[in-house]
Amino acid sequence: MAGTRLDARTRLGVLLAAGACVAPLLLQVPTTLALVITGVAIAMAFLSQRPPLPGWLRMVPALGLGAFVFSTMGVNFGRDTGCAMLAAMLAVKPLETNTLRDARSLLGFALFAPFATFLLDQGPLSLVLGLLAVVLVLAAMQRLSDVESDDARRPRTAWRRLRSVGWMLLLGLPLALAAFWLFPRLASPLWGVPDRAHVRPGLADSMTPGRWSDLLLDDTPAARVRFFGPVPPRDRMYFRGPVFMQYDGRTWSRAPLQSSYTAQPVRASGTAWDYELEFEPTDRRQLIALDVPLSPPPNAHFWSDRALRVERPLDSVTRWRMQSAPVATFEADLPRTLQLAALQLPQGFNPRTIALARQWRQDAGANDAAIVNRALSWIRRDFGYTLEVPITGRDAIDQFLFRDKKGYCEQFSSSFVVLMRAAGIPARVVAGYAGAELNTLGGYWLVRRSDAHAWAEVWLAGRGWVRIDPTAAVAPERVFDTIQDRARASGDLLANLQPMFDTGDWMVSTWNDFVLGFNADRQRRLLQPLGFDAVDPERLLLLFSLVAIAALAATVWLLSRDVRERDPLLRAWHRVGRRYAKLGLARAPHEPASEWTQRVHRARAGGDDALVALGARFSRRRYGPAREAGERLNALLRDLDKHRP
Amino acid sequence: MRETLRALRGRLERFVRPRTPEPFPVELHRRRIYVLPTRFGLFFGVMLVAMGVGALNYNNNPALLLMLLLAGAAQTSLLGAHLQLSGLRLVAVSADPVPAGAPILLRLHARAPSRGRERRGLRVDCPDATGTLSLDDGVGEAELALPTQRRGWLDVPRLRISTTRPLGLVRAWSWVWPEQPLLVYPAPEPNGPPLPDGAGEAALARLHPLGDDVHHLRAYRRGDPPRTIAWKPTARLGSLLVREYEQPLSADIVLDWFRITGLDMEARIRRLARWVDEAERDGRRYRLVVPGHPPIGPAQGAAHRHACLRALALLPGGMGAR
Repeated sequence: MAGTRLDARTRLGVLLAAGACVAPLLLQVPTTLALVITGVAIAMAFLSQRPPLPGWLRMVPALGLGAFVFSTMGVNFGRDTGCAMLAAMLAVKPLETNTLRDARSLLGFALFAPFATFLLDQGPLSLVLGLLAVVLVLAAMQRLSDVESDDARRPRTAWRRLRSVGWMLLLGLPLALAAFWLFPRLASPLWGVPDRAHVRPGLADSMTPGRWSDLLLDDTPAARVRFFGPVPPRDRMYFRGPVFMQYDGRTWSRAPLQSSYTAQPVRASGTAWDYELEFEPTDRRQLIALDVPLSPPPNAHFWSDRALRVERPLDSVTRWRMQSAPVATFEADLPRTLQLAALQLPQGFNPRTIALARQWRQDAGANDAAIVNRALSWIRRDFGYTLEVPITGRDAIDQFLFRDKKGYCEQFSSSFVVLMRAAGIPARVVAGYAGAELNTLGGYWLVRRSDAHAWAEVWLAGRGWVRIDPTAAVAPERVFDTIQDRARASGDLLANLQPMFDTGDWMVSTWNDFVLGFNADRQRRLLQPLGFDAVDPERLLLLFSLVAIAALAATVWLLSRDVRERDPLLRAWHRVGRRYAKLGLARAPHEPASEWTQRVHRARAGGDDALVALGARFSRRRYGPAREAGERLNALLRDLDKHRP
Repeated sequence: MRETLRALRGRLERFVRPRTPEPFPVELHRRRIYVLPTRFGLFFGVMLVAMGVGALNYNNNPALLLMLLLAGAAQTSLLGAHLQLSGLRLVAVSADPVPAGAPILLRLHARAPSRGRERRGLRVDCPDATGTLSLDDGVGEAELALPTQRRGWLDVPRLRISTTRPLGLVRAWSWVWPEQPLLVYPAPEPNGPPLPDGAGEAALARLHPLGDDVHHLRAYRRGDPPRTIAWKPTARLGSLLVREYEQPLSADIVLDWFRITGLDMEARIRRLARWVDEAERDGRRYRLVVPGHPPIGPAQGAAHRHACLRALALLPGGMGAR
């Protein structure tokens, strides 16, 4: 039976289902590779209609595509390469899909594709495509089973097939959800999680001015922040990410010694902000925090610059509860080595900038703050904001400060820091996000990738590190602008769509809340509202078993019930009949109402006039001419239900 | 290895219900329905476990949800397969007798009490044959071509009714073992002497209106066809006379066990079976005489043929009966 050859329609269904599985995965691999795999898959699907090719010839596309994958992805066997290989293998597989057994193995392996997709991406598109793939695969499996049971005489329509698959999924859902929320999670992984080689836009571990323009146009969410208590004003919402101290003339990166010092305590001023940060996955270990967090959350630690580093790559939505406060003093005593690192400049770059800075130092004497102010007022006066930045040459800072005078946060912050360092003031670049947008529906603040920002911190004696945002000096509206601001500028259309955006993001956030961000920790706190503190795994398993049994029972009941009588009158009448069954006077299925009531009337001592009357009313109502009886259905139903033998 | 497995399987099968043939009708209730994963189901299960471990390891909730959703559907399909069989009522088995050696078409009649559940494409099989049972409007029948080897009663083997629907992940099956045996006629002798003529027996001549030989004339009776009127004698005698013909109808044949000599018992049976068929084909009346049985006939027709062949089929097996 397993060797049954497939008919054309069944095979088409199987190939479509497999294609639906691979589609979301293809969106995650490089475009050229995705196109090549798609092409090969279509070619294989066509070729598979012909008589099978000899074995060696079938090896050609498999080996060729494999080689292409490795040439595109590189030979390091990470998650990306593995996923691309899976897609490639699935593309070649249709060539040998002729029998029932082939089709089933193809479907089974194809289901790994949406699974692999979710390891790479958990966006809404992937989820929707994945669900579609599951439905199509189940429908194809159902069809294969029909073929196997040789019931091809009455093929089901596609619609009926999808409906029955939907019904199966729906019935399985309670069990799946019970398992999802109650099945104990692993607190730590069994094996290591490989980093994703292919990086999505996000805050990188380095910054090369001119590279962020893509990121600044990406409106997808980066984080959501929910405040408990006071909310900082929007122009104070600086979310600090990586801090860069090392500069080679082109690229800012971390200095190794940033991690070798422990963070000094900060002195906070004013009230602390208590908030929960829901962080979208980046596959990096860098976390952001509002301004300067007072202490690191669990599973994270500070570097000396108070940037947060977490223990595992952030490959899924994570939540962090933190307290931050506006800072009074931040690292008032700067260790000598750190101070030198914060003054370091590459040799022989940007001569005009260095000359200008020395000049300023001579003018200002020992007053660092005067130099900072002078730089800011110069920038405010002479510079402009644009995302269109010309390609920079060797002396990028000179070129920006003295020729272009236009740029965005990357240019402003790096030029400012170089200028400060040349003037002898310790300075560093901080990357992160600035500004957020309130989602009124969900009551949280949304930080988008396009809010990515870079600013400067200068070290001033007595105060420590002070945040200076040269971009805000030029274009504060560009630093803190939101979609709403842009919408107001560009007319009513976008403004009208705003509630829709808000609702959409609120739904995503809710999904994050219940599904993506669910982990061992939240599972332990799951039953807190019901009064159980910290559920241990044994109790969780017990609870899971109970819920699973209930879900199973519900499924059995729903599946095994036969078609219910739809007519309420008939239902009530049958109930009356069943009551008499206890007396041995059950109505036989073939017995008309009047005959049965008469039989009961004769059989019972003293007769049963009430039943005879009810039987007559029932017959009149059900079989008599319409409305002739003049009887209200509800009254009859009530009397039938009240009647006891 | 394969042999050992088969032996093991045979031993296991002695424990499943029913253990002896049972009278019909039989209703398949849950205690006699078995469900186990198919090979594809095992593969699917291994895949789900791999997915589950991977998802838990990476703490990847969408992947976990995907796996659980598939597992939920698989679980539903398990129940679905069970319910395809549950409550199915097997009413009877029947078959038209065939000569030994030809496949006998066993018909299994089934009914389903509930209208709501779709029961289609149920597979009915035994080691030698396979059929499909689909119930439309609550009734259906499956046909299995069972091979036959020898005359007499054929015990219906234990039949397996199974389904892998709806997803092919599990097979639900139940055994039924009809008590009622099927009749297999003896195989007729392929070549042999012609029918014995009926000379020895009192040949009964019967009148036949369209025979060739003129027998005699008689007076006209209303309703006689005009062409039978013998005009010359009529003219001569003055009253309508009608010719009456007769044909000596072939004499009833006697198929007598005791007159066949020089053959062993089975060969005699097969010869008689062949003669029965031949006589039937020629449209002649025949009488069968076999030991241990009152003579059958003379008569002709399907019922008579069945009576004769049945008697032959059920003669006790002598030497070489197998």
